[in-house]
Amino acid sequence: MAETESYPPIDPTNFDLIVVGTGLPESIIAAAASTAGKTVLHLDPNPFYGSHYSSLTLQDLVSFLNSHSEIPKTNSLQSDDTTIVDVNTRPLYSDVEISSYDDSLEEHSRKFNLDLCGPRVLFCADLSVNLLLQSTANQYVEFKNIDASYVGDGNGNLMNVPDSKSAVFKDKTLEYSEKNQLNSFFKLVQGHLEAVKSVDVVIDAEKIISDDDLESPFVGFLDKMKLPPKIKSIILYAIAMVDYDQDAGESCKDILKTREGIDRLGLYHSSVGRFPNALGSLIYPIYGQGELPQAFCRRAAVKGCLYVLRMPVISILLNKDSGNYRGVKLVSGQELSSDKLVMDPSFTITSSKCLQNISKLARGICITKSSLKPDISNCLVIYPPRSLYPDQATSIRILQLGSNLAVCPSGMFVFYISVVCDDALEGKKSLHAAIDGLFSVHTDQTDSNELKPTLLWSALYIQDLIEGSVGPVVTTPTPDGNLNYNNLLDATSMLFKKLYPDDEFFPETSNTDSSDKLEDDSEVVLDS
Amino acid sequence: MASRRRMLLKVIILGDSGVGKTSLMNQYVNRKFSNQYKATIGADFLTKEVQFEDRLFTLQIWDTAGQERFQSLGVAFYRGADCCVLVYDVNVKKSFDNLNNWREEFLIQASPSDPENFPFVVLGNKVDVDGGNSRVVSEKKARAWCASKGNIPYFETSAKEGFNVDAAFECIAKNALKNEPEEEVYLPDTIDVGSGQQQRSSSGCEC
Repeated sequence: MAETESYPPIDPTNFDLIVVGTGLPESIIAAAASTAGKTVLHLDPNPFYGSHYSSLTLQDLVSFLNSHSEIPKTNSLQSDDTTIVDVNTRPLYSDVEISSYDDSLEEHSRKFNLDLCGPRVLFCADLSVNLLLQSTANQYVEFKNIDASYVGDGNGNLMNVPDSKSAVFKDKTLEYSEKNQLNSFFKLVQGHLEAVKSVDVVIDAEKIISDDDLESPFVGFLDKMKLPPKIKSIILYAIAMVDYDQDAGESCKDILKTREGIDRLGLYHSSVGRFPNALGSLIYPIYGQGELPQAFCRRAAVKGCLYVLRMPVISILLNKDSGNYRGVKLVSGQELSSDKLVMDPSFTITSSKCLQNISKLARGICITKSSLKPDISNCLVIYPPRSLYPDQATSIRILQLGSNLAVCPSGMFVFYISVVCDDALEGKKSLHAAIDGLFSVHTDQTDSNELKPTLLWSALYIQDLIEGSVGPVVTTPTPDGNLNYNNLLDATSMLFKKLYPDDEFFPETSNTDSSDKLEDDSEVVLDS
Repeated sequence: MASRRRMLLKVIILGDSGVGKTSLMNQYVNRKFSNQYKATIGADFLTKEVQFEDRLFTLQIWDTAGQERFQSLGVAFYRGADCCVLVYDVNVKKSFDNLNNWREEFLIQASPSDPENFPFVVLGNKVDVDGGNSRVVSEKKARAWCASKGNIPYFETSAKEGFNVDAAFECIAKNALKNEPEEEVYLPDTIDVGSGQQQRSSSGCEC
């Protein structure tokens, strides 16, 4: 309903902090700064919340991907004491490929809530869940279980991931000896983590893993524990969620150390059973990942942050002499000042150093009318390196979601696929390999032997990975290639600490803070 | 349906800034009113237990948290609402004219499964101001609009004097209860990560 022209001028015109973009890192910074008592203005050029972390309708997703894959231009203008630098949109997406095999999907466009940064899940014990609780933003989001995890191979088999003691017990594919090996390994890890946690007890050297082992590659440690290849692969790629082929030796870009591997197993296992009705370790927000930034924005609003959507920032005002940031100019023509500015990574100005592309991600979204497994609505599938084709260098992760998560119309399923890659060609090759492995592509003649879900629609795209940075303005990170938000949230809390070294990032007390409640609004005169 | 969802009714209050949304909530739940206006900061939602045909329900009334000022409410706010309350100020014509925009915005954003029959309630607030002399929207005109939108129940209220506020919210609760939520999404396997961690205390005053 809103046209920017109908907006009244923004009042006040000076803030402690202006945040541009409503992605998860920006929203968390806005909420944390508002909670710390800063005056915050939160702007977004889009008519929706979430930026690159949002969940969109079918139509909006396609137009967002296309509009963020164009090449921008930049120029700057000098006036008496201020340098005015144009803000440009940096294309984060490239090689966007939309395929539709069923025109009827368009009619249901609004029933889809498609994640731009999928596949993504929360581990019940991870940082994002802790942050939701600590900030009390959890009251705006509800979750459901991811029912199962599978490891896939090139022959179309999906093997259940025995990720806990009870899952190992119930598993039908493992030999008795394999079950024993896996159980004793889980026990070893648990024993180690418990021993490390209890600092005041004398540590039993037998129970903990030696420092030598902790600093050596996890894959070698698994070999040392004599775990068979199948189980090794499950632990590395489907529980510790490692990206790169750990058996590639020297050529592997990122070798996971045992210490980190043990921590990831610990996170996985402590996630199981954290919440009474969460059966596994993974959960997903109803209505999509885009609910998370919105929850933090509402928290920020409740703490006094001012929200203006559909409001692009067209230029940044810098002090001519010092080059220091002073304020922003909006598309409405209004100029606003603030001490600090935070921008999402799709906005750039010339004076800031050219952001380096470190890596790329290939992402895919697929829609079908049937599930990979008849009785399972929401599940995770991992294709470890080399499982689909010989030179597959990284794991491919797929998340299947059903309509009980309100992400698609009833009777349909949405799949998210992602893989880290060096270039678009390699990334697309991996996506296509996964799609060929999971789905049958729509043809006129129906193959009655084909049990795979039929692909109705897909969007494949390459996303640039940009890390957060601090300059005249603070830039937040793009969504990364991980399943959970842990690294992004670490980066976000670091940015907050750089912005406000003296303020706490969501103090624990905000839990019991009663100032949210209307009746405790102490400034107002009450009469009854 | 015995799910938690059925016991909890989500009500959202929409309307232009300054029409009295927060005051109406506050009057209904806390029996309090403040003359000093400031744009809403610090309002989240209020809850109140209501009894209907021998069953207890929790009415959860969501404030806009000021995000309506620049029409920046976001789709999450609208999700799962059981009743939408549209408020205008009888002394401000524009706030009445905008009711249509708010209603349409709600239907687009919340996309209820049966938009024709989704329960709305309209409140014409601030009838006390200047003894009614500064009023610019007549009751007749308001009722005509409500009738044209599928007979939306209409109440004239004064949050300041507590006039008609209880009656209006009684109607709101009844209508919220009639709304059928989308069952598939709200089956009882929903995980609330706050449960068992820190019991979400009812933010409403129980007095």
